[in-house]
Amino acid sequence: MKQWLLRLEPIIWLLFGQGILLGTLLLTGWILVVGLAIPLGLVPAEALSYERAHALASSLVGKLVLLALCALPLWKGAHHIRSLAIDFGGAERDTAVAGCLYLIAIVGSLLAIAAVVRL
Amino acid sequence: MSGSKKTFVITRFDPDRDEAPRQQSYEIEVDPRWKVLDALNHIKDEVDPSLSHRWSCRMAVCGSCGMMVDGKPSLTCKDSLADHGDTVEVAPLANFPVVRDLVVELEGFLDKLKQVKPWIIRAKERAVEEGTHRQSPAEHQEFKQFSMCINCMLCYSACPVVANEPDFLGPAAIALGHRYNLDSRDEGDHERQEVFRGEGSVFSCSYANECSEVCPKNVDPAAAVNQAKFRAVIDWATSFVVPRGGEG
Repeated sequence: MKQWLLRLEPIIWLLFGQGILLGTLLLTGWILVVGLAIPLGLVPAEALSYERAHALASSLVGKLVLLALCALPLWKGAHHIRSLAIDFGGAERDTAVAGCLYLIAIVGSLLAIAAVVRL
Repeated sequence: MSGSKKTFVITRFDPDRDEAPRQQSYEIEVDPRWKVLDALNHIKDEVDPSLSHRWSCRMAVCGSCGMMVDGKPSLTCKDSLADHGDTVEVAPLANFPVVRDLVVELEGFLDKLKQVKPWIIRAKERAVEEGTHRQSPAEHQEFKQFSMCINCMLCYSACPVVANEPDFLGPAAIALGHRYNLDSRDEGDHERQEVFRGEGSVFSCSYANECSEVCPKNVDPAAAVNQAKFRAVIDWATSFVVPRGGEG
């Protein structure tokens, strides 16, 4: 398992890095628009009406953005929690902890892929 | 001498007599222009010759005199006493086994340095008559910053990952390996990638950035580690397209 983790480190780090860059960027934008701009009336609610939102989400770009929005923060979170666990003295349990965390990220990513494909 | 006094609380450890490190206080008169190392040398020469500490050049070049000063990794020949209070705590570098008093064991660190192959690797040696390897100032600039490391090990003392994962290659060794990977004369990138992605993986770094905070030579090892991670990802991805291990 440890050797497997070592071999997969590059792809895990890449997803973690994109989680920081793209995930945080998209999530912040999403919260700003849906959580603040629309409720405060800065953006008209019709701009994100069901039909418009569905059309946007059904396009290829929309699907990719939604997938990145759902999956990448999971990898960012999983990797951060793993580092945190090591910093708190969990280096000996790292393989098991990392395995569980990345499994959650994998399942979440697969569910996100299934969800955007069905849109 | 201005006549001002400071108390130095120094961690002492004699493996033949002590079961655990203990602290010993020395109150001495100090010159305000002194560095911490000057005070330690004064204590050794004038007060207690049994004190052991490592030092050499006294001008931040040899990297021998790294210690914990008031709980922070510090190059004592560069650390002014004026920046400290009336009581100064001096201890051996954290995250290293202690040999005696303020002297730490270097073997593990030197082994990590060797692992990253810090020398120019060529697929085929160049004959002397073919002349020197030429390098432009721009190519030299690519790695110059990372070649300024003096191996003082302050970064290892500050690194939370080194503290928890003894196998981690660590900031200085990765910065040094990365320095050779960036060198236009070098062809050993793939060999070092095996080390960078092995047991002491560069990916263990959680980017606390403490290594760059304490570096007395502004090497910025955290930047080197993260650039090394990116190169490792590219090398990993391209390894599926370009097979490795062929004859050079």
